[in-house]
Amino acid sequence: MSGGTLCNDKPIFYRTNSMTILQPLISGVLTGGVYALAGIGMSLVFGVMNISNFAHGDLMMIGMYMAYFAFTLLHIDPYVSLVLILPTAFLFGYMMEKLFINRVIHHPHQNQILLTIGLGLIMSNTALLAFTSDPKILTTTYSSSSFTIFGDVSVSVPLLLSFLITCGITIILYLFLSKTSTGMALRATSQNREAAQLMGINVAKMSAIAFGIGTALAATAGALIAPTYYIHPLAGHSFLLKAFTICVLGGLGSVVGAGVGGIIIGVVEAMSATYLSSDWKDVIVFVLFLAVLLLRPQGLFGKKGGQ
Amino acid sequence: MKRTFVSTVAGTLMVLPLVVQAAPLKVGFINSITGKEAQIGENLTNGAAMAVEDLRAKGIQVEVIKEDDGGDPKNALAAYEKLVTRDGVIGVVGPYTSGAANVVASRADQYQVPLLVPAAAKEEITMKGYKNVFRLNAPANVYSKVLMDAVKAYKPKTIAYVYAATDFGVSTVKTAQENAAKMGLQEVANEKYQQGQPDYRPSLSKVKAANPDLVFLVSYDADAILLMRQAKEIGLTPKAFLGAGAGYTTAQFAQQGEISNMVVSATQWTDDVNWPGAADFARRYKAKYAKEPSYHAACAYEAMRIMVTTASKNRSAAALRAGLKAGSWNGILGPVKFANYAGFTNQNNHPMLVQQIQAGKYETVYPAQFSKKTLVYPFKR
Repeated sequence: MSGGTLCNDKPIFYRTNSMTILQPLISGVLTGGVYALAGIGMSLVFGVMNISNFAHGDLMMIGMYMAYFAFTLLHIDPYVSLVLILPTAFLFGYMMEKLFINRVIHHPHQNQILLTIGLGLIMSNTALLAFTSDPKILTTTYSSSSFTIFGDVSVSVPLLLSFLITCGITIILYLFLSKTSTGMALRATSQNREAAQLMGINVAKMSAIAFGIGTALAATAGALIAPTYYIHPLAGHSFLLKAFTICVLGGLGSVVGAGVGGIIIGVVEAMSATYLSSDWKDVIVFVLFLAVLLLRPQGLFGKKGGQ
Repeated sequence: MKRTFVSTVAGTLMVLPLVVQAAPLKVGFINSITGKEAQIGENLTNGAAMAVEDLRAKGIQVEVIKEDDGGDPKNALAAYEKLVTRDGVIGVVGPYTSGAANVVASRADQYQVPLLVPAAAKEEITMKGYKNVFRLNAPANVYSKVLMDAVKAYKPKTIAYVYAATDFGVSTVKTAQENAAKMGLQEVANEKYQQGQPDYRPSLSKVKAANPDLVFLVSYDADAILLMRQAKEIGLTPKAFLGAGAGYTTAQFAQQGEISNMVVSATQWTDDVNWPGAADFARRYKAKYAKEPSYHAACAYEAMRIMVTTASKNRSAAALRAGLKAGSWNGILGPVKFANYAGFTNQNNHPMLVQQIQAGKYETVYPAQFSKKTLVYPFKR
């Protein structure tokens, strides 16, 4: 018995009213927003440092636990706790780059990948030891609240809040990268590391800042998803693959590409779950992913000839 | 010096036959102490340990040799072979997982040492006619049957399935579809999902559009909470939510009152069932381990109690097998008898229970003879 059995007299899956199109579109865009935030952090790190960070999912997991403990121990709302999580995660990422990542920055890719996988394993297994494998649930008063628009399309309140915060953070990041001198230095390092160094930019410091921002974004994505998801030491792993897909889809190193890529993945997942079967949604996502790789190997917003 | 030595040797020689004669009863226990199933394995460990303590208090001495299979059938088989060939046990309780129990069961007749399976649900285990395999808990098909029996009187007409794409999810829904067909229920949606996704709203919206009377769910721990949260969000309100899988029977799920209230689920055991000693077992378990006992703990307790009391009267594997086959018990899991029926061999026809979360607590609501509360139907937010 496979999924998608139709009932005989009324073709319920092919109703053409507003609900069928709008419901998956809206929930896809909102879920995609959180994917995008995870993807942007990874893309930024790749752009500036040319490193694929396989610990990205575990950094998200740390963000989830930070939001959980801020809520249960300090009684701070998970969205408000971002004020604490952002700087803490930035410092954590900054230190991690200084202590470990910068030692392999000129090494072959496989060394960098092994190092980040190793760091990720240490983080997830430490979390397993400390917090056990029992999933934690963060229940706020609005965890399952929603409102309806257009008659029968429901919008989840926590997902909408997460989406708005994601938009806000993306705009701030965009302004930071385009208007401030540190931001410009980051972009210069991303475009050409050697040339940036010759122009007097401290590229080692830029790497640490980029990794700090990447970590802060990952932790934020984790904290934003915490009220609507469950918190588990291995919860980051399913998002790692998604963040990676989003980065490649949007163009490695492109912040805008990662943002758009995240929303595309969210919408495609929701649409294929609605019109095909949720069993098939990963298949559709990866077929799309392969098609983009074949037709536009640099990704949707990537630079041609870039890495 | 020499005299001391001689007297020591003589003394030892005199005592030795006594020691041999009073050699404690040896029983094996195979369980998932480590690995993926370790969390549930801990419940079985605790339940079995309590049974051994209770038996000691009654003067029945037993040596339980514990083996860890890590949830792996290969290790379980190696553990069984070690227990029967090297340790010389006359009976084995375990293993926990269906996969492991099924493999060990296939070798029990070769070694002629009885195996008592406490909580594995795969039907096949007791369907191959093995003489040395006994099972205490109800097999997988009873999960969906008892749930549908509980709501039968209310005459539901349509059903939708939402379940994890795992062996357990797929096989449970398969038996549910057979039971639904017998009841004349029309299937209006069938949503199989990959575990661990953040967004189940599209699947649930499809179910909502089909407007079923019953929504039948099979999910593990955290997914159950996510699904019910998102079901509330999109306003999915069938007449009853029937949860067959593990995720709908945890204390953590019951605590999420806003989303879990009125959800109906199937279980092998509850702490408020009126089987002798059930409530007392739950109270003592909570006091000792500071946790709610799951049905696994109760199954392991009763399996160990039955194995050891029977073994203490029948001190060889062959006699134990006859004792298990002939005996009947009445304890925290209700009346137990290993019978042959409907294609099963040495299977306890265990009546599964249906519980409903009422005011944040699991209450037994079906079958009526075991329940103190009644089912609330239709479901209301």
